[in-house]
Amino acid sequence: MSTLFGRYFKGDRVIWTVVIILSAMSLLAVYSSTGSLAYRFHGGSTTYFLIKQLIFLGLGLSIVFITHLISYKVYYPLSTILLGISVPLLLITLVFGATLNQASRWLEVPGLGITFQTSDVAKLALIMYVSKILSQKQKDIKDLRQGFVPLVIPIGLICMLILPANFSTAALLGLACWIMMFVGRVNLKYLLGFTGLGVLLLGAFIVIALQFENVGRVHTWMNRIENFASGDNGEGNYQVEQSKIAIATGGIIGKGPGRSTQRNFLPHPYSDFIFAIIVEEYGLLGGTIILALYLILLFRSALIVKNAKRTFPAFLAFGLALLMALQALVNMMVAVNLIPVTGQPLPLVSMGGTSLFFSSAAFGIILSISRTQNKTELFDGEEPVEDNN
Amino acid sequence: MQLNITTDKKYIISGIIILVFIVIIVKLFYIQIVDSRYKFSANNNVLRYITQYPARGLIYDRNGELLVANQVVYDLMIVKNQVKPFDTLEFSSMLGLTVEQVKDAFEQVRKQKGYSPRKSVVLLKQISDSSYARLQEVLYKYQGFEVLPRTVRTYPRRIAGHLFGYVGEVDESVVKEQPYYQQGDYIGINGIEKYYENQLRGVKGVNIFMVDVHNRIKGPYEEGRFDSIAKVGKNLISTIDADLQEYGEKLMINKIGSVVAIEPKTGEVLAMISSPTYNPELLVGRNRTDNFRILQNDSLKPIFNRSIMALYPPGSTFKVVNALIGLQENVLAPSTRYSCYGRYTVGRGVGCHNHPSPLDLEHSIAASCNTYYCHVFRNIIDKREFSSIEDGFNNWKQHVESFGYGNKLGIDLPNELKGIVPSVNFYNKYFRKGGWSSLTIISLSIGQGELGTTPLQMANLVSAIANKGYYYTPHIVKDIEGNDEIDHKYYEKHVTSVDSSYYKYIINGMDLAVNAPAGSGSTARIAAIPDILVCGKTGTSQNPHGEDHSVFFAFAPKDDPKIAIAVYVENAGFGATWAAPIASLMIEKYLKDSISRPYLEEYLLNANLLDRRAKRK
Repeated sequence: MSTLFGRYFKGDRVIWTVVIILSAMSLLAVYSSTGSLAYRFHGGSTTYFLIKQLIFLGLGLSIVFITHLISYKVYYPLSTILLGISVPLLLITLVFGATLNQASRWLEVPGLGITFQTSDVAKLALIMYVSKILSQKQKDIKDLRQGFVPLVIPIGLICMLILPANFSTAALLGLACWIMMFVGRVNLKYLLGFTGLGVLLLGAFIVIALQFENVGRVHTWMNRIENFASGDNGEGNYQVEQSKIAIATGGIIGKGPGRSTQRNFLPHPYSDFIFAIIVEEYGLLGGTIILALYLILLFRSALIVKNAKRTFPAFLAFGLALLMALQALVNMMVAVNLIPVTGQPLPLVSMGGTSLFFSSAAFGIILSISRTQNKTELFDGEEPVEDNN
Repeated sequence: MQLNITTDKKYIISGIIILVFIVIIVKLFYIQIVDSRYKFSANNNVLRYITQYPARGLIYDRNGELLVANQVVYDLMIVKNQVKPFDTLEFSSMLGLTVEQVKDAFEQVRKQKGYSPRKSVVLLKQISDSSYARLQEVLYKYQGFEVLPRTVRTYPRRIAGHLFGYVGEVDESVVKEQPYYQQGDYIGINGIEKYYENQLRGVKGVNIFMVDVHNRIKGPYEEGRFDSIAKVGKNLISTIDADLQEYGEKLMINKIGSVVAIEPKTGEVLAMISSPTYNPELLVGRNRTDNFRILQNDSLKPIFNRSIMALYPPGSTFKVVNALIGLQENVLAPSTRYSCYGRYTVGRGVGCHNHPSPLDLEHSIAASCNTYYCHVFRNIIDKREFSSIEDGFNNWKQHVESFGYGNKLGIDLPNELKGIVPSVNFYNKYFRKGGWSSLTIISLSIGQGELGTTPLQMANLVSAIANKGYYYTPHIVKDIEGNDEIDHKYYEKHVTSVDSSYYKYIINGMDLAVNAPAGSGSTARIAAIPDILVCGKTGTSQNPHGEDHSVFFAFAPKDDPKIAIAVYVENAGFGATWAAPIASLMIEKYLKDSISRPYLEEYLLNANLLDRRAKRK
């Protein structure tokens, strides 16, 4: 690799490569799958979406670039502030949020006309905060009050705030935090107890939700789960059927770029079902490559963790990579009908403005950590943890 | 390493994640390679298959007269999305409907399974010619409507409804089992239409068009390379003589029962009447379901084809069978005489009527002496060479079955019944093993008791007698257009278990029954036709439903039989009173095409025997 690349793009080159390939894939797939949108809203001008996505990807890559130059240490204090902001943001969204596809997840930035999902902010904030507490409390981590409670309270709070509008994100974030705690040596007994409590709360939530069957998202959830469980050909399963058709007709090597026909039948082919379109156009091969890219990301991050001398960056990199990978997994599992339909975008690939930026930021942070790791780290006030294994 | 993330935990987590990834890939593979369902669906998304319905094959009578033809009707189709607001009043009045009915039709369409506003669906089925003519001129004003021609049946002679059956839309169960059919297709539901469905229906064609997302046709797919042309169904020539059939139906008006006429040399069915019959036009078109319900609820069961589905005791006509078996088994000689004093006196006894006595074989048939056949029957069953009654009975049963009784003959019509010839097991159960003898089952000697035959089986029996010992399976279609032959089984000769040399005595007896001078005790003199030697046998069969059934079977002419006929009139009384003259007129009509005895015809046409039903109840 040229030194030129090395001079500006620091950090793990493999992760950089993953980011760039995913962005390129995103451009192709989104351009191909926005055909119907283009006809509906922009008089058939498909270039509109090409340019739009180009701009978004450009901005996204800039965010990756900028965040990767910022020292990860910033997030140590920042995490508390971000988390502090997230809670009221989520509350406001729940109450006043703009409804898109009947889910109130979006908040408009006053004056700018930009909407963003507050849960995206909260996700980042929570991962940072959990990393911070995990590293801070490593010494007392086995203790209930010292180690466990300070972790569980913010996790539970954020997840519960996200839950009513976006079940899958809440579940995903909860799972990521759970794995982080598991890796972070939190007492397994407490973890399991916490899980049990979570399940109990969820059960209670469902019971309460059922009383308001016609309110908000409850009806959608019930339909989706019923459809998935019964394999019924109902209205809700239309998406899954069409997605399967896309996958089935793709074959091993696919129909070729821009040749998807299912994009005209699938709702949201550019976000929730982009994986199906990718498989249709690039085949099993293309699909496997996308899968592999997220796997590589995860394992490069694991490598960072392995080489980390500090706990905070290690947890942070691991947590963020985990979140991205899980999100990708959920998106793909929906496309192949392994789980009920839910709206998780494919990180970096799906069209969608702000969530792309937050994913970019996550990648930037991971790269920042690996960049720092490449230098010999100096003691920065954080207590090194003794290896007592 | 400073972090004590244990390697175990790392492996667990990465293991789980890799597993999930693998599951996704496997599922991808499954959808792509293993499960082929979605590939077909993919084509359905971009292609629209428009079916070309072929005209159904026509059905002719044996002389080439058209009996079942086609007429064009029109299904009014809509694509909901393309319908613009229109003048509902004008539209409904053109169709001869009220505005409410049209709205109702729209409502119905919307409720249909699999309804899509982008698909072409049937709004109104089979609109009439005149409605179509009016509509056609202004159809351009109504966007989203189109008219699809379909053919339905029409019957120029309005006869033989039971034989032709009818055509209707396929059931969902048929669609599931047979991939050829799709919802809305027509299929033969009964009679010839059902039996010869595969020949009559032809082959559907299909035009494939490319459509856009809104299901609008963009043009033929691949320039029509994969289109197929509909093949018209094959025409059938039936064995029915339309004039004879119509005449028979006329004679049977106001009578319940059945007439079956067969050409003995070929097994071709010349006429098959089940009365009361119905006008086949009733089961065509939009009113079919309503009319069907009315016919089905009729207490006289007009839809029920008695010729092949009703089981009657054969009555005295069965005596000829016992006579033939007796001759074959050597327990009876043509010269054997039995005295009769009005009663067979052994056991509970069997009554007889007044006739000269003693009689030989031929005269016993002519006079239909019950006593004579009690002797014959018991001699057959109790023949010394059999060690038990069971062997004797089985031997008798085998003989009976060789005449086509107790089994389906195999006519080319659906739902034929096999009739009843009782078995040893039946009697062993009904009485007990060893608890019955030839005397217990003496009713069988005169065709009563546990016997059940269809009118078709009786006509077939008389046909076998006319042929002196063989028959061809009766059938109703003699030619299929484009095929060299019909089913091979209709060319196979079935030989009875009685030697052909014995038949002449029976035939002479049947000749005497019709043609002996008055005062000789002959039972069927009413059936005699000037210049034609008719051989026949009457029957009067007791039944639990009321007055006796009037039965007669016959063939003619004696030396060169051209027609064999069985007539059954329910609850009409003596065979000679009603069944014999009907058979006689039918024979004359067929052989001479004119009627020499108008008084007899008049007498029958005016008779109403419906009210005799269940008088005895």
